[in-house]
Amino acid sequence: MDRYQNYSLEEFVWDESFRNWVLKPTREDNEKWKNWLVENPDKELLLCRAAEIVQAVAPGAVFLPASEKREAIQNIMDNLPASETNILQAAKPYFTIQKWMQIAAVLLLFAGLGWSALKLRHPKSTNYEELVSGAGATLTEKHNTTGKPVSVALSDGSTVRLNPGSKISYPARFAGNRREVYLSGEAFFDIARYPSMPFFVYANEVVTKVLGTSFFVRSYANEKEVSVRVKTGRVAVFTRNDQDINDKLSTKELAGVVIEPNQQIVFVRETVKITKSLIPKPEIVEEKNTYNFNFDEVPVATVFAVLQKAYGIEIIYDKNLMNDCPITATLTEMTLFEKLDLVCKAVGATYELIDGRVIIEGKDCKI
Amino acid sequence: MRSLNNLTDDEDTSLWHDLLAGSAPSFEKLIDRTYDMLFQYGNKFSRDRELIKDSIQDVFMEVWEKRTLLNDNIPPKAYLLASLRRRMHRLAQRNRFVPMEDSHFPGIDFHAEFSVEYSLIQSEQDQLTASQMTSLLNDLPKRQKEVIYLKFFNNLDRDDIAAIMDIHPQSVSNLLQTAFKWLKTRWKTAISILLMLQFA
Repeated sequence: MDRYQNYSLEEFVWDESFRNWVLKPTREDNEKWKNWLVENPDKELLLCRAAEIVQAVAPGAVFLPASEKREAIQNIMDNLPASETNILQAAKPYFTIQKWMQIAAVLLLFAGLGWSALKLRHPKSTNYEELVSGAGATLTEKHNTTGKPVSVALSDGSTVRLNPGSKISYPARFAGNRREVYLSGEAFFDIARYPSMPFFVYANEVVTKVLGTSFFVRSYANEKEVSVRVKTGRVAVFTRNDQDINDKLSTKELAGVVIEPNQQIVFVRETVKITKSLIPKPEIVEEKNTYNFNFDEVPVATVFAVLQKAYGIEIIYDKNLMNDCPITATLTEMTLFEKLDLVCKAVGATYELIDGRVIIEGKDCKI
Repeated sequence: MRSLNNLTDDEDTSLWHDLLAGSAPSFEKLIDRTYDMLFQYGNKFSRDRELIKDSIQDVFMEVWEKRTLLNDNIPPKAYLLASLRRRMHRLAQRNRFVPMEDSHFPGIDFHAEFSVEYSLIQSEQDQLTASQMTSLLNDLPKRQKEVIYLKFFNNLDRDDIAAIMDIHPQSVSNLLQTAFKWLKTRWKTAISILLMLQFA
């Protein structure tokens, strides 16, 4: 390590072992360079600067999505001539979680969430058993015959809490560029975020597509409705019979009816209609912030703004009309709908729930 | 000073031994570990992703078919890169439907474009330095650039590079020396111009 004493910035940048340490640090190297810095404390800044340059200058790389790479590898493995001895050995999963996280981090930004109207055609057969048998992959089925919810861990790190009487079918390892599972009954999904590999829940007639979030799906064969509720993030929902289903399945974005926290989609089997609405008991979405629901002579418009932010639900009202109506109220410990009832009563307004939003209908309260 | 990257290389070597002995899971793991490196290297010779992927597939299929004949002392990374380079070279020749007048083969040139991620560098002066360095690297003649790419950005040693580029190890050293001499002279001029600008 003596030779480094008089190294210039440039010499560090092109030094092989220095580069290796910066680009692929090992514990051994960390130790070695830390010791060297203890002996040469005046070199710290120089070393940092050189490290920055080593990290920043690189040959341009083409983007190779994880799904494309996996497909290519699968292709090679599928084309191998059968070998006598090892054909029965199961291949181990070759993607480490760290690798997935790296890729997910790169792809974290996604934009342009599409919203397109649902067009329904003649219903095709869409029951769970048929969907599972038509899946084309070997699936594992979990049937919860107990009286309590059970947890199912999927190979991508996602978890599913399966309610009593429900079943789910999923592959032992996700292949291709989609993660697909089949549900009959009710379950809560907490999905690991891999935007390049969207996650699909096929629940009878309804398809839910997510990039990484948590949500409930309820789809019992003997019930009249199928519903999807979001806890965090956003999901897209469309029906099996959607005529653009292939586009919606293949796009990397969320196409279909997009729902957000506190909203739900209800699919009525009889009328084959899908509606978006608020869930019966909306919860405060951002738990980090504590909201103050004690209002003292505050314009009602401000109250609505606070509620909108706290519940992540759009509240539509006429600002000009509502700005001059001051109210005094303590709204803690109430559900969203109780809060809305009270506020509206105070200023002589009414509200309606349309399309997952709250619409306030009020009178001018200026005297 | 060699203990550095060898842990991961050792793992490649042990996977290589296992696959030559017929282990498909080890083979798959080795493909996964080397695929990105091969894909990026292939991209320096062609912009056609399908062609690159096909070539990589051929390289690995050949390894599997010839596994009983292959030497288990060859460094796997270098062997794979060398086969990929040869294969893409051959393809470029075969696809030359219209014979060219001159003797060099189209499509086999090494194209790499270096760039700087400025957000990683704090001081403005170092950003300038990095930008200067990058443009010098980009101006290097192709073969020197390829040697630099393999040595400093893929951590391969002289003998590996010689095997990959199918040249004598001494030629690798010569190419490196020429490249650095070139970089240094330009660098000096560039730096002094920079300093002049700063104190002007």
